[in-house]
Amino acid sequence: MLKSVFLTVLALGIALVGGAGSVWLALERDFGFGSVAIGSWIAFPDHGTPEADPYSRARFSRDSDLALGRAEGLVFTARRDDGGDILLRECAYRIEGEMPPARFWTLSARDAGNGVIRIGGGRSPALHSQALLRRPDNSVAVTVSGRPAPENWLALDGAGPFSLALTLYDTAIASSARIAEVELPRIVREGCDG
Amino acid sequence: MARFLHALALGVFGAGIVHIVILLLVPAYSERDAWSALSQQANFYHPVRLDPPGAPPLIASLDPLVDAVACRFDLRDGVVQVRSEGMVPYWSISAYERAGLNIYSLNENSSPQGRFDFVIATPAQMILLRNAMPPELNDSIFIEADTTEGIVVVRAFVPDETWEPSIAQWLRDVECTLH
Repeated sequence: MLKSVFLTVLALGIALVGGAGSVWLALERDFGFGSVAIGSWIAFPDHGTPEADPYSRARFSRDSDLALGRAEGLVFTARRDDGGDILLRECAYRIEGEMPPARFWTLSARDAGNGVIRIGGGRSPALHSQALLRRPDNSVAVTVSGRPAPENWLALDGAGPFSLALTLYDTAIASSARIAEVELPRIVREGCDG
Repeated sequence: MARFLHALALGVFGAGIVHIVILLLVPAYSERDAWSALSQQANFYHPVRLDPPGAPPLIASLDPLVDAVACRFDLRDGVVQVRSEGMVPYWSISAYERAGLNIYSLNENSSPQGRFDFVIATPAQMILLRNAMPPELNDSIFIEADTTEGIVVVRAFVPDETWEPSIAQWLRDVECTLH
């Protein structure tokens, strides 16, 4: 008698804890069927649309969000550099390479709570493609760091993990099936404080 | 031992069911959606800045270089017209259904002369409008939305701070009217 009660409780416990825990894990990590990973950048083209998969839908509904539409733009997010390490605010990163065709793009840094990292002094919290220094071959290199850097500098402060958001506006790749063939810039760690 | 394994297998199977049930129920029970955030700010047909100056944005994912207003509408009351006068470097408009899912989007490149004048209507209302077009909607671009309650969001790109006053004014001029 006692044994079957124990086994019932065990089965129920595994079902409830395992079921709820696995959903929580899947939502905390950026798990999704509709994700497109290019280098360290991840995009969810269906995020916030009726075509999104259930994981994307559930994650979407947990924070009040109104995602960009296909005709508006597409957001790529990076939480790791190309070496596979988590992006840290005490480190300096170099973002270099080809940008896909878009009317314009913006690059901003976000803290662990997805809030935009703003440093004082009237600096813009984001860079955009219409106000950047370009190389003679039209390529762009951006330094993301806590210390001022020459050329294009996206300022960070504080410590701890952060993510980079690259938003391409009015881009044909948002509605294209060949989105995975797009090239995005590399994120290379240059060094860290301390 | 066999009964123990049986219970274990049953538990794992049950976990799968619980996983699917919870996953599908999360959107239905979520109260942290954009609709609730907006309804605390203003009533239907009243545009609300999504990034009020000097306060945290209502939508965390908003681009820091983009200003936006949103207004809630209910197509059961009638069609809604969204318009503004003037020019900004880049604007885009999106229609969302009640749960915040994007059902339609358009940017200023797709609008004749960059004109900003839209009417959102259900397919049934579209047929009625085509039969008897009110003169004030004659120049509008029509967006067909298969929804009743919804949110319309207008975004404008702010290339630098000097643009901020004129873009803020353009967004203040966005009207969200019921017809």
